[in-house]
Amino acid sequence: MTRVSINPGQVDWSGENPGIYLKNDAADVDYSVLSLFFRVALSPYGRGNAAIVLAAPDVASGWPEVTNFIMTDNQRMMRWIVDGWVTKMPTFIGKAGLGAMTWLDLDSVHRNPGDLKSEYRETLRGSGVTLDMIWQDMGPPIPVEVTKENSATRAHEMYSVFLEAKAASIVVNGSPLPGSVQSRQFFGRTMSTAFLAFSETWVTPVS
Amino acid sequence: MPLSEPITPGVVDWTGENPGILLKNDDGSFAAMALFFRVAWSPVGQGQVLLLYGTPGKAEADDGAPNILLSDNAELSHYLLDNFIGKLGAFRDSPAFENLIHVVAQSTRSSGDPMGHRYTETVAGEGYSVELVWEDLEAPRALELTPDQVGTGEHTMFTLLVPAQKAQIIVNGKSLPGAVGTRVQAGMETTSAFLYFSETWVIPPAASA
Repeated sequence: MTRVSINPGQVDWSGENPGIYLKNDAADVDYSVLSLFFRVALSPYGRGNAAIVLAAPDVASGWPEVTNFIMTDNQRMMRWIVDGWVTKMPTFIGKAGLGAMTWLDLDSVHRNPGDLKSEYRETLRGSGVTLDMIWQDMGPPIPVEVTKENSATRAHEMYSVFLEAKAASIVVNGSPLPGSVQSRQFFGRTMSTAFLAFSETWVTPVS
Repeated sequence: MPLSEPITPGVVDWTGENPGILLKNDDGSFAAMALFFRVAWSPVGQGQVLLLYGTPGKAEADDGAPNILLSDNAELSHYLLDNFIGKLGAFRDSPAFENLIHVVAQSTRSSGDPMGHRYTETVAGEGYSVELVWEDLEAPRALELTPDQVGTGEHTMFTLLVPAQKAQIIVNGKSLPGAVGTRVQAGMETTSAFLYFSETWVIPPAASA
């Protein structure tokens, strides 16, 4: 593939899409917690914010029985993104918790970016839940551009700016979820399982 | 350039949103110019900055048409002036550039739908309220431009362009004169009113070494 100035593909959505994946032990194959945050600036279903938290990824139950939920202020948009993107991401494929997660209304989102190096926090409130996603010890921004063969969905091209976070935590109603950040192979490098992702655009390529 | 490496080489200068409105007089000169920055990452932090040339052709602005830089992060506004705006010929060469009044922004707000009909950004502070309005929006297009295709002449740039057929710059309730015109970007004819989302400016390795 060659870079082209004006991508002929169809722009699907664009915004911010950071994540935190935790494991109880570095030797574990499976993650103990999967979480993604969305601040969508543009989509066919409008704009909106959301966070997915699966603290029991392999359990087919939702909140409050287990901590599997999505909070969003634009449910229609997020149904589309969950179906078209999240379910196709290798980390989420086959996870029973994704289909069973409870959909919660989101009332507010507050970002505390700090200096973009030491700590970055998103705080979401709604439906009786306060969720804090906290990234710490960030590296420099890394611009990425992937073809559909290399993208997480295997169906879209993607542009983004990633910042690796060496530590991260997820706090639900004041209680931190168990697990810690590990390393994984990502874009041909060993990188952390916690990352900020700014200026992310997904494009369906022309067939 | 072949796309064999998912990580683009170079150093990120800044990333975020960068919509603008360039209104023209009948003779083709600029009647009013505005650029808005919602920066998600820069070396000096996040922030929002509005550059307004209400009177682009004069160092001393006319009443009701100020030449101002409204910002909630003063360090960021200086960073953008020195490293970005000052490299864009249309802004650097304007008499308004040398005499900008720096104003603290107390609120910023966006509304509308960039894939709908109308989108706005409103920035207010210290007696100024500036509303940028884009209407008759076209479908978004993803762009990836090389240094010879961007205004700074120095960066690789990724962005998402949403052209607007109509636009207004409203200062304290009064619409500034001028009309949306045309321009050419990367060989594509487009308009002088535009939304840019998920925009990333990268200094290529040769320049950042």
